[in-house]
Amino acid sequence: MFRLAWRQLQYDKIKALLTALAIGSVIAVILVLEGFEQGQYYQLKQIVLKRNADLIATQSGVTNFIAVRSSIPQLSRMDIEDVPGVKEAHPITAVPIIYNKDNIRTPVYVLVYDTKGGPSRIILGKGIKDARDIVIDHSLAKKYNIKLGDNFSVTDFTFKVSGFTDEAAFMMPFAFINYDGMLDLFIESQIAPDLSTFPLLSYMLVELDAQADRDKIAKDIEAKVSTVDVVTPEQLSNNDVSMGKVFYKPIMGLLVTIGYVIGLLVVGLIMYADIRSRIKNFAVLKALGFPFKKLFFAVLSQSLILLLIAIPIGIFIALSLSVYIETNSPVYLIRLFEPIVFIHTLLACLVFSFLGSLIPLHIIRGSDPVMAFQGA
Amino acid sequence: MLKWAWKSLFSQKGSLIGSAAGIACAFILVIFFDAVWRGETEQIIAYPNNVKPDVWVMQSGVGNMHMAMSFVWDWKADKIASMPEVKNVTPILYLNNVIRAGDTEMFAFIVGLLPDAKRAGPWAMSAGRQIQNPREAIIPDVLSHITGVKIGDTLSITDKEFNVVGLSKGTFSSANSVLFVPFSDLEDILSSSGTYSYLLVDAHDNVEPKVLASKIMEEVEKINALPHDDFIANDFALARQMGVEVIVMMTVICSVLAALIVGFSAYSLVMRKRREIAIIKALGASNISIFYSVMIQTGIVTLLGFLLAVLFALLVVPGIPSLVPQLTILVSNEALMQLGIIALLVTILGAILPTYLVLRMDPATAFHV
Repeated sequence: MFRLAWRQLQYDKIKALLTALAIGSVIAVILVLEGFEQGQYYQLKQIVLKRNADLIATQSGVTNFIAVRSSIPQLSRMDIEDVPGVKEAHPITAVPIIYNKDNIRTPVYVLVYDTKGGPSRIILGKGIKDARDIVIDHSLAKKYNIKLGDNFSVTDFTFKVSGFTDEAAFMMPFAFINYDGMLDLFIESQIAPDLSTFPLLSYMLVELDAQADRDKIAKDIEAKVSTVDVVTPEQLSNNDVSMGKVFYKPIMGLLVTIGYVIGLLVVGLIMYADIRSRIKNFAVLKALGFPFKKLFFAVLSQSLILLLIAIPIGIFIALSLSVYIETNSPVYLIRLFEPIVFIHTLLACLVFSFLGSLIPLHIIRGSDPVMAFQGA
Repeated sequence: MLKWAWKSLFSQKGSLIGSAAGIACAFILVIFFDAVWRGETEQIIAYPNNVKPDVWVMQSGVGNMHMAMSFVWDWKADKIASMPEVKNVTPILYLNNVIRAGDTEMFAFIVGLLPDAKRAGPWAMSAGRQIQNPREAIIPDVLSHITGVKIGDTLSITDKEFNVVGLSKGTFSSANSVLFVPFSDLEDILSSSGTYSYLLVDAHDNVEPKVLASKIMEEVEKINALPHDDFIANDFALARQMGVEVIVMMTVICSVLAALIVGFSAYSLVMRKRREIAIIKALGASNISIFYSVMIQTGIVTLLGFLLAVLFALLVVPGIPSLVPQLTILVSNEALMQLGIIALLVTILGAILPTYLVLRMDPATAFHV
């Protein structure tokens, strides 16, 4: 029966190709959607992990890094560094801004750092040497056609772009400045009566001595500095991913589910149309004594072969789309090959292909062997 | 030829309906992408759109609300309030932050309201009351439904706990749920004093908001003042661009999928009727008339698919939020019209291969046994 299915597909190659392309397109839609969602979670995770801290101190009660206001007392740096086992504590602050140029606005998450926690990778240019320097995500540079050395104005204060990095999360590009830059921005802009309005110290990246016990030191810091909570970067990044899931899951889940339903219907409808057009062939097979079970396996084999052809096509289309999206909007990351999700998607495609092949079965069941002898 | 096209298409109703349903599926996916994106975008501007002052005043360099941070000195509000054109100035504090409601942590926009600032508060309530005391909060009814946090329960913002006293309507979106808390509590969270985030300026009758915004800009330094429509346009533009590339790519691939299904069904039809077509050619029908007949067939299949998708969009899609309350879905006429144009392109694309085959077909095929 497998051979029959294979020969049937070979009999009309154009039709088989069109079918495989259609199923491949459905697979590509699902892969890109899943890849987009996974990319968002990956970016959320990496933003914290790339700060390269052993522990992170947050404002008490704050459990996230992205899109949250955390403000800890400035003296806590000294207190944390006094805890045995702590090598150094590096302050970092997050300032969300809306960058506006030519009336096109983009939310940008500015990370302010002192001795550590700056851009993890400079893909072009150099790091920050001066209070006026700013390193921006390359998606922002592409969107606004910003070159190295160009001005970057935030609230009447002008930075100079010294480098490009590739850090973005939550559909937002990131930018990096140092503390001098932030203070100049706040003071020169005169945007608030006093600087305490702004979180001058959001997090403390804690660097430990080699061989230090992370859990013990985390507890020691919390005991010594009551205004902070201390978590591992993994915990903080997992919290951000959980928060991201609350945001993305309902939307992406619905779209992916619809993608699967449509995939199922497309396979079903294509198989239905195909089997209807070959109803006489099935009648002949029935007249020759083939049981329904064998004919069912022929249909199932055909849809599975089509799926096997469609999967590489789908992967190719999805890969092309993701490259296109990432090239044109580098703020997005499409992670197509996240192992568990990728395998899960392919298995789900197998299921919809199987279910789709059930749709036209009633036609075969209802086909009368007498039809084989009707007409020319 | 037209009659032949019509008859041959409807001779296999099952295949016709199957193909139309397949195309409808691809179009429905396009409609969904657009409706979810458009719904969320509209919902993002729900707060500013509903409080609707004549002029918005904010920090210099800031021009919108979504994901923005703005601080304006309090004396600037007093100066604006003293202008003869100004009827009323309502200051608010505003913070984008993660909140914890039940076991759920989610991103929210928190508005701090002064005791007499009902004008900037929730515009519709589904249960409970307005804020009267410190540490009280009004949360969106959908948020309450999702998290199980009800009136009388607590939620936390950073390390502060708030009692839920009211549920507001129309204030939820996946991207930004709007919560209301007392001004002083948000001031405490922000460690700020003497500052506001935005000023909602209501003008006297017959005062042109644009003129008033310009005057405020001239007389008060280091602020930005925008008429409501401009402010909303900025917010809307910002919200629209988020995720737009993904939506566009999904629309393209779903359109290609629809074109493939059209191509598949037209190709199947042509292959089934190749003898009839060969006879028609042998009888002297011109290539152009055969081309038209193929186009008519692909056009009818696509039109049926399009109509099925539109029916689905108008009848079924609006009911989805009752199953998934987190989602705001908006099917717009603009999106349906765009889909109509896509359908036209799909018809043409889908007809290319079958037309090519028909034009190459040898009339002698008619006499092959």
